[in-house]
Amino acid sequence: MIVYTVRDLCVQIGARQVVAGVDFALDEGECVVLVGASGSGKSQSCLAPFGLSAGSVTGSAILTGTELIGLGEDGLRRKRGSDAGFVFQQPMTALTPHLKIGQQLAEAWQQAGASAPSRDDLTAAFERVGLPRPYELLDQFPHRLSGGQRQRVMIAAAVAHRPKLLIADEPTTALDAPLRADILALLSRLRDEDGLAMLLVSHDLASVATHADRIVVMNDGKMVETLDLGHSRLLPEPTQAYTRELIAASPRLSDLPPALPVVGEPLLNARDISVTFPRPGWRRGTFTAVDHASLDLSEGEGLALVGGSGSGKSTLARAIARLGPMQAGSVHWRGMALPPRGKIRPLDRRHIQPVFQDPVASLDPQWRVTDIIAEPLRHLQPGTRAAEREMRVAALLEEVGLDPSYASRKPAQLSGGQAQRVAIARALIADPQMLLLDEATSALDVLVAGRVLDLLADLQHRRRLAILLITHDLAVARRLCHRIAVMSEGRIVEEGTASGIIATPQHPATQRLVAASV
Amino acid sequence: MKLALAVIVAIILAALAGPALLHWPYDAIDWDSVRAPPLSPGHFFGTDSVGRDLLARTLVGTRITLAVAIAAASVSLLIGVAWGAIAGWAGGRTDETMMRIVDALYALPFMFVVILLMVVFGRSILLVFLGIGAVEWLTMARVVRGQVIALKQRPFILAAEAAGARPAGIIAGHLLPNVAGIAIAYLLLTVPQVVMVESFLSFLGLGVQEPLTSLGILVKDGADDMDITPHVLLLPGGILVAILVSLTVVGERLRSRLTA
Repeated sequence: MIVYTVRDLCVQIGARQVVAGVDFALDEGECVVLVGASGSGKSQSCLAPFGLSAGSVTGSAILTGTELIGLGEDGLRRKRGSDAGFVFQQPMTALTPHLKIGQQLAEAWQQAGASAPSRDDLTAAFERVGLPRPYELLDQFPHRLSGGQRQRVMIAAAVAHRPKLLIADEPTTALDAPLRADILALLSRLRDEDGLAMLLVSHDLASVATHADRIVVMNDGKMVETLDLGHSRLLPEPTQAYTRELIAASPRLSDLPPALPVVGEPLLNARDISVTFPRPGWRRGTFTAVDHASLDLSEGEGLALVGGSGSGKSTLARAIARLGPMQAGSVHWRGMALPPRGKIRPLDRRHIQPVFQDPVASLDPQWRVTDIIAEPLRHLQPGTRAAEREMRVAALLEEVGLDPSYASRKPAQLSGGQAQRVAIARALIADPQMLLLDEATSALDVLVAGRVLDLLADLQHRRRLAILLITHDLAVARRLCHRIAVMSEGRIVEEGTASGIIATPQHPATQRLVAASV
Repeated sequence: MKLALAVIVAIILAALAGPALLHWPYDAIDWDSVRAPPLSPGHFFGTDSVGRDLLARTLVGTRITLAVAIAAASVSLLIGVAWGAIAGWAGGRTDETMMRIVDALYALPFMFVVILLMVVFGRSILLVFLGIGAVEWLTMARVVRGQVIALKQRPFILAAEAAGARPAGIIAGHLLPNVAGIAIAYLLLTVPQVVMVESFLSFLGLGVQEPLTSLGILVKDGADDMDITPHVLLLPGGILVAILVSLTVVGERLRSRLTA
């Protein structure tokens, strides 16, 4: 039985046509995935028919025999409550902080028109989505739950009233790789058990392909093509160039290992680094974020720190680069001890430069691009003349693939990918020998992330940069790094060559990461 | 917003240029026309109970009131931004101590403090400036501290540290420019408050000294005679209300635009 049909759907926000003519249909127990870059209109296509977007909608969207478009606010609310469930991207902000988990689930239940559920009902619902100790969980507040657990609560709430259609808007994007696989497996299981029709939105074609019946590729508000996976669940050869580009953009573990620069003299030796933080709130004592971690890096060498969120990889890298606190341990640069954060002289910072995850927040919104890029020069090479600074900024803009005319722009006038290129240019202008890349591509769109990764690989070869890469994606790690160090609960639990770690993972944390990346 | 801006600009221009263009100075007494009604010859808005030109007095009073307001607001800007930026940047114990001091000052009945200052040190315009400015910076300090704490966690601050910038350079180069917009919006909201305080002090007879005048004194004088000559109250009162409403509208609009 067809559950949901969308015909010639158009969404307009202001004067902009964000969705133009989208068609698809969902049968019981089917999963359709809308894939595309950000701004391709994939979320709008899902949410607008249900009145969950600011745009004006035309076309037709029929859910279990009811036309949604033109239904009015009351009718839509009833329909959303009874026949559709929603899961969104940000599990951290989707739950109300002051209500207990159980109350929030009961609320979802009642909004669908059911009578108040008993504690047993709620416990069963949590058990179904694989939450541990569901009975105790009912009385806890959202802040006690991890991101993955919160997403499970959201899913429990979305399917509590047995909807016919589940709409999940990037349900795994905010989670790390092992959790991503778990959540997708959970959604698949629910679909099989309930005969739920599932409409998924994702920007990562590869990770959702194994769960989809059909994949609708979108670009610029239009459908590029529909890939039918059929029963084999194998991705057919795409007919459109855009789709091929989308598939090729994200590196995969099955790709051939890339050529990496030759490793030279040892550069950095970090020994027994420990970082502790005071416990938040009123609790006494400290919390150990990094526990006696050591690592070494040589000229031209890439080392990836991988691990789930909260494993301490960012904290360790920042401690080494003297950008974060450090309670114990030592860092040597070419055999010389690097002074601690409070005593470091600007010139000591010249060798290690960082690039952060969020490209837009990494740039001062008030500064022009040329001043942003030149900032390290002003402090690290104070004698530089203004004319020479300008020349070097122009040269670097070209090196990172931006037009020199971008020099006079403000960060608000840049896209995410362009902003990250500016951040990379800033990191490179003082000619560092080592880059610290803190999830530098994970906030970007697949296509853009692929291009930024290409740029980083190119720079790594050309400048023989040592790279300390923080990531939760093993494929990205192998693209730039000779070695991989796996972190779990503040400790480096396994270290080895990239191919070795991926082929024969030893530690359970590594095995989980590798299993999730295939 | 545009209307409010136009009103402010018009009032400031009139207060600056107006008195020079009028025939009667603000402190001269026209013995022939005491308590003249509006539109009488020579006195466009009439005269007060001792025969001084009301329009000239109102314009001079506006000048004084605005001067006090702007000076006091600037004092509050300087102290508030510096205090808030240092507390927010330092964090920890320093932040705690500095903000508890602010809380303690908040708890004082500040009108009482200003009145006490007047009584102890005598009446002077300078003291009015300083006294009002010194109590109006508290809100500014809180606002700026909150902004600085939010900005401090942005990666561009960390990037500036990696670029070798020193803390003073980061505060001056990155934090303050990003706080400036909000601080100016709050400054515009402080000015009407100061106008109110100054008018109130003058109303109580603690503000500027006769024959110099301010809107508050004029309103007080007008209120004494409002049963006989209502225009003596209505002109300065109307201008006071226009200034307060316009500044608040502009400030609110700026604030909501910058915080959104």
